[in-house]
Formats: sequence, C-alpha cells, structure tokens
Amino acid sequence: MATNTQEQQSQAGRHQEVGHKSLLQSDALYQQYILETSVYPREPEPMKELRELTAKHPWNLMTTSADEGQFLNMLLKLINAKNTMEIGVYTGYSLLATALALPDDGKILAMDINRENYELGLPVIQKAGVAHKIDFKEGPAMPALDQLVEDEKNHGSFDFVFVDADKDNYINYHKRLIELVKVGGLIGYDNTLWNGSVVAPPDAPLRKYVRYYRDFVLELNKALAADPRIEICMLPVGDGITLCRRVK
Amino acid sequence: MTHLPNHKKTRSKPDFRPPYKHIGCPLPTQVTFTRESKLSQSRKTEKQQSNLWRFVPMATNTQEQQSQAGRHQEVGHKSLLQSDALYQYILETSVYPREPEPMKELRELTAKHPWNLMTTSADEGQFLNMLLKLINAKNTMEIGVYTGYSLLATALALPDDGKILAMDINRENYELGLPVIQKAGVAHKIDFKEGPAMPALDQLVEDEKNHGSFDFVFVDADKDNYINYHKRLIELVKVGGLIGYDNTLWNGSVVAPPDAPLRKYVRYYRDFVLELNKALAADPRIEICMLPVGDGITLCRRVK
Repeated sequence: MATNTQEQQSQAGRHQEVGHKSLLQSDALYQQYILETSVYPREPEPMKELRELTAKHPWNLMTTSADEGQFLNMLLKLINAKNTMEIGVYTGYSLLATALALPDDGKILAMDINRENYELGLPVIQKAGVAHKIDFKEGPAMPALDQLVEDEKNHGSFDFVFVDADKDNYINYHKRLIELVKVGGLIGYDNTLWNGSVVAPPDAPLRKYVRYYRDFVLELNKALAADPRIEICMLPVGDGITLCRRVK
Repeated sequence: MTHLPNHKKTRSKPDFRPPYKHIGCPLPTQVTFTRESKLSQSRKTEKQQSNLWRFVPMATNTQEQQSQAGRHQEVGHKSLLQSDALYQYILETSVYPREPEPMKELRELTAKHPWNLMTTSADEGQFLNMLLKLINAKNTMEIGVYTGYSLLATALALPDDGKILAMDINRENYELGLPVIQKAGVAHKIDFKEGPAMPALDQLVEDEKNHGSFDFVFVDADKDNYINYHKRLIELVKVGGLIGYDNTLWNGSVVAPPDAPLRKYVRYYRDFVLELNKALAADPRIEICMLPVGDGITLCRRVK
C-alpha cells in the first residue's frame, strides 16, 4: 500500500502480476512456488487465455488470482454444485472457473454493475463451451437479491454463492444470501483478509480505498464469526476467502 | 506408475524423531499457550515486517533460537503468512471462537507435550472439519495421528456410522488424546492401527474390494514416504475422492536459497517434499490444489 510515487514505483513490480495478492510470507513462496509448481501447469487453456487478456486491462487488480480460481474449481466439483450465484464478475475469471466445474446443465446467476468488462471476457467463455450455463444480470446486486428473497421458491435453491464485490455491502448481501443458499450449501466471501491490512497498525500507510473498506471487512469478519446459522473457515487463498457453510 | 520416482533411501537417515536432542534444537518443554504475549510480540515487529523474502522459524544457533522461542510457544504454530499478526487474526477471529470444546481440550493437552510441534494447527483442523462435511465423507483414512487433533476434527465431521482407519507408529501419543476423543462420543468411529503404514497399505491394495473404497485420506507422516504412499492411495481412494498431503510447503523452506540456515531435519526432508510436489503436479490421475493452510496442504482429487 503506497501513498507516494516513490513507493508506488517500487510496488510496480508487484502490481505487474495480474491479481497478485499474496498473503504469504514471501513472493517467492507464492509466485515461484505455488503458482509455478501447482497452478499454472494445471490451468485450463481458456482460463490462461482469460487471465492474459485481463492482464492488459487497467483495472486488473480486481481479478481473481489463478490459485483462487483453481481452488474454486476444485471446491465446486467436490460439493457437486449445480446451481450457483456470483456477485461481482469483472472480466469473468472466477466465473469461468465456476462454469468449467459445473455439469453441463449447471446454472450460474452472475451479477455485476459493469457489463462491458464481462463482455471483454465472454468470447473466451463462449469458446470454452460453457457460456450457456451463465445468466448475466447487469446492475447492483441488492435489488436482484431482494427480488429473489421475496419468492419463497428461491429459498434454499443455491448450492454455492461467490461474493467478490463491494465490501461495504457484504453484510447486507449476507442477510439475503443466508435465505437463498441451501442448508449445507456454501457462501464464499472474497477479500476478507484485505491484503493483510486487517492487522495493520493505525498509523500504517494505507491506500485510501484500502483504509475505507477495511472497517467494513473487519465488521463482516466479526459478524460472520458470530452467526450461528453458519460454520465458517477463513482461508488465506488469494486475498482471503471466508467459506460459510449454512447449517440452519 | 512409471512417472513417479522411486525413493530408494540411499542416504543414511539420522534419527530425526523428536525430541531432536542431538541436533541442538531447544525442547519446548515449558510450552504454555499465551495468546496475549504472542499478539504483543507481533505488534512490536509489525513495522519491520516486509514482504521481502523472509525465512520463518528455522534457527541453527542459540541466539536465533531464543528469538524464535516466542514463535514456538504457539502450539502447532506453522504460519506461512506474511505476518504472525495476520495468522493470529485468523485464529482469534474465526478459529478459536468456533473451535469445538473437545478440540480445544485436546489442543491444550497437546501443548504440554514435548513433541507438540508435530500437531495439526487449529486453523487446519477447522478446515478439515468443514471439508469433510462438504464432501459428505463417510469412510476415511489417516496416516500419522500423534495425539489425534486432526483425527478428532475428522471424527466430529463424519456421520455417526462414519469410519476412520488411523495409523501411527506410536500408540502412546494416540492414547494421550484418546480420552478426549472418547468423551466427545466419537471414538467408536476410529480403528487405530499401530505400526508403519506401508505394510497396511500394501495389504489393503492386495484385496480388490478395497480399491476405491475411501472417500478421503489425510497423510501427515514421514515426508520421505509420501510418494510411496501415493502409489497405494491412488488405488484405495474412490474416483472423485480426496487425498490430502500435509506439510507440502514445509514451512516455506521450499523456496529457501541453497545457503539459507535450515534445521537438519528440515533440509533433509525438503528434497522429498520438492519431489513430491513435482510428482503430484504431473500426475494425470488427479487434480490438485495447494492450499497455504497450516504448513501447506495439497488436496488431490482422483479423476481416473
């Protein structure tokens, strides 16, 4: 987190890596080791293509990292997910990871306020032959969620929901998602370790947006830990994913 | 299975079993679980922590060992994360408040044991527990038990008629934790076998009935044998089932430069860990995922 140009330049190396968010003890461990040994050699061709395409985009910091994509893909296969939701799409890296994991008749309700970015990645998803599983809705997620919650038929209808969007709304999304995900189903909240800033001392130099959203992240983490309707697990993958398994 | 290297142990292997007296590592005999001191220590050093390559615990001289003593106070503390503070945050926020009472009890009991560095960490226990519920596991295996923390996490996750075949060369340690497991009401799920795992695995593989009979296998044992275990486990786990290999990031030493100071046992096993990771990544019968939980778990989902 740099606040002046000098530090920004020294950070430039780190930001060159698309979606590079390492919570690990060293870049070497994350980059040279985990990614090079276990992630990139196994990354499906479409995901590689989408990742490289996204790397050229000016907002590429927002993308899901490759290790996280691999994890989501495996997780979805392990839980035999069929009906999922994604809040926050960007160019669709995690969306593609999801689509590749679901069976042919799987369905993903994908929401993002920006259709343009989604359409940047869509050709790759189409080429991969999985675009038919995706139902993309442009716009803020809240109204869509409220609408879903209104109809009781939708309660408990989702196997998995991935939330990777505006951090100041996660808690509000949670109130709806806890109804919509099935008992035994999973909600994944992304960026819950917020680049490690959750433990930054008060005087640490933080980018404005990092500092702004940090409070929401801290609040969310406390709320999820205290929610008796879910069991939780905070994984230091990517920027931190909190898995919430609905138990009642 | 020709692509998997055969580990012929041509090097004479010193006795690396705890308590490591002969290689001069300090025995954490007076380990007490002090969360507060851990936190204040991390806050003091937070400013000096950077994301440059920084090597975590392994000390080879007494001065470093003393400065590392704080870190070894934390039972099973194996943090691959950028700071102790971050790891502590995860534990304090999401792990300890949710830790089932029996697991807390077993963890605290294990903290008093001289070999407690071997135990599964609390965040890893929580992850295993959730994972097993997510995959509806019923028939599992565990190689490497120690006092049984991950075994208890597993037993609590399985249904009442779930079964765990648990193997360890040391029955005493298992019996240390067994009362807690019994009190938790899940000991009936466990079938404990004392002794090395290899003969038991060979026996299982011989009978075709056992092929594809396990939903999940957790391997947390002698790293120089993981590859050899893998050759058997890939037959025993079902298609779609999961094998989890623990310690595959080996305290971050997998990326240590050749001249880095490493404890002898860390350096010795590191080669095996590096080999294993390469082999798993190349194995077409599995899909893999390397998770930086605990000391690194590689999840291997059998696909054919």
